[in-house]
Amino acid sequence: MSDKLILALPSKGRLMEQCNALLARAGLTVAKAGPARGYKGEIAELPGVEVNFVSASEIAQFLKAGAAHLGVTGEDLIRETMADADERVQFLKRCGFGCADVVVAVPACWLDVRRVSDLDEMAPGFRRVHGRQMRIATKYMNLTRRFFTQRGITGYRIVESLGATEGAPAAGLAELIVDITTSGATLKANGLRVLEDGVILRSQANLVSSKGAPWSSELRALAQAIACRILP
Amino acid sequence: MPPATAQQLEALDAQARRLLAVFTRAGYEHVPLAVIQPAGLFLDVVGEGLRARTYVFTDPDGEELCLRPDLTVPTCRLHLARHPAGAIAARYCYSGAAFRYQPAGADRAHPREFRQVGVECFAAADREQADAEVVGVIVAALSDAGLERIQLRIGDLGLFHALLEALPLPPRWRRRLKHHFWRPEAFRAELARLTSNGPPPMEDLTRTLADRLDPGKREEAQAIVAQYLDRSGVELIGTRTLAEISDRLLAEVADAREPPLAVEHAALIESYVAVRGPATTASKKLGELAQRGKIDLTHALAAFDRRLALLQSAGVDIKDAAFSAEFGRNLEYYTGFVFEIIAPELGVKSPLAGGGRYDNLLADVGAPCSVPAVGSCIHIERLLALLCASSS
Repeated sequence: MSDKLILALPSKGRLMEQCNALLARAGLTVAKAGPARGYKGEIAELPGVEVNFVSASEIAQFLKAGAAHLGVTGEDLIRETMADADERVQFLKRCGFGCADVVVAVPACWLDVRRVSDLDEMAPGFRRVHGRQMRIATKYMNLTRRFFTQRGITGYRIVESLGATEGAPAAGLAELIVDITTSGATLKANGLRVLEDGVILRSQANLVSSKGAPWSSELRALAQAIACRILP
Repeated sequence: MPPATAQQLEALDAQARRLLAVFTRAGYEHVPLAVIQPAGLFLDVVGEGLRARTYVFTDPDGEELCLRPDLTVPTCRLHLARHPAGAIAARYCYSGAAFRYQPAGADRAHPREFRQVGVECFAAADREQADAEVVGVIVAALSDAGLERIQLRIGDLGLFHALLEALPLPPRWRRRLKHHFWRPEAFRAELARLTSNGPPPMEDLTRTLADRLDPGKREEAQAIVAQYLDRSGVELIGTRTLAEISDRLLAEVADAREPPLAVEHAALIESYVAVRGPATTASKKLGELAQRGKIDLTHALAAFDRRLALLQSAGVDIKDAAFSAEFGRNLEYYTGFVFEIIAPELGVKSPLAGGGRYDNLLADVGAPCSVPAVGSCIHIERLLALLCASSS
């Protein structure tokens, strides 16, 4: 690794656009370095910074491994990737975009299940009737497991779902889901309802620093300077 | 920790062979068990809690597999492969590695790979006899290994179940108290809720629906619920049926209309859970408790006493054995007698051996009916560490 400060930024999509706008407001101009399709960049105003463009979930991996000093990505992805996120990274600044809740949602027709504890009550009966445990479709396997463990709920299975999770209950692939939602409209359209105390995490994009990256006092000062300039 | 040197490996193997020899002489068949197991079955049986600690992977065919987190479920599978009916008496013993992810990092006290040597006794009709036999053979194996000073800790979830049966409670409340027994906090909260009989919190909308339901009229309730969903524009989706949803609502309504749990009965349950002391005087204490509470525990206490007597005739020293009504609270698949063997040098946090009765496990693994089962295993790394320490 060079002695530059490595900043990992989203490489595509809306998150990338919002991220560029955020940095522009901070008076920082991000430009690609080298070939147009490359994955390296720089910040004109801060020559000590090297930008790496990677996907949002890889940013969490970079920060976990200490392969980047700073990164901008969703808190959901950070907490999903690291069980001990607060030991490994520091949340420096909320970015004010990428806002979404990770929630537990059940079929709206489950009138008997309104709170998370109702799932615990429902589970043994479900198992008696169906001969297997209830299934939760999600891409947030770790967040889900931690949330239910904290609440002492064990009678379920996770089914990994990498897309269109909200369709899983109607398709009979799972009984309920843990997924991300902004307005709740998609959940509603799929006949689902968020449990009263079913918000696992209110997430948004954050500027995050890695505790495992190779830091020097110069790099720390530089990171602090970037964090101060960012105004959500 | 896996052994660091060939010598240590050899010592572990030799110790395991010695223990197995005691088990096979006592009539337990030594069975080989696969390290790689189907993940789905394990996770269905042990739940997601253990999944977080199980090494799960997918093979090139897309099949979900795991490294066995214990050897009891594999033994159940082997038994059912041989005897699909399940209820055939059999005694097995095994030795092998089990694997568990350690969230806080693996170390000597929390290895991610460790050796289990143990026994399982299936479908023995006389439960107390089988319980005593299993403890007896484990104690004999430890004594053969050169260990003399051990302490036995016992508990009996069967007593707790008997206590709940003896109290005048709706079956649902019993089920719920059994279900929460594993988590002291939730258990206390549940007791408090049943005593105060605050109706479970409901949204206004569901409340008005609930008022129209009569717990005695199941089919009528289904029609009302169906109509309610229809009018609210909510579609019935997913695997749960209208009957399942409506039945649970009815149970909730019935609970809310039930007179609250009598304060003296809640107190009785609480004082039962708090009973601890020498095993030899436990049943006297429990008997007095039952008498004060005016409930009948004769049958369960007779079984408890009989088991103690059988333990003694199996050569187990029971005069220092400790009983705790709460013991077994962290091991969800046990259903009756539970025990641990403690070495004073290692303390209660690191038992040398442990086990108990789990009469539901074979059915969970696929047996067509519930099959009595009791088993135990020895933490051989701890045993060896103890023997090394005492010889040096």
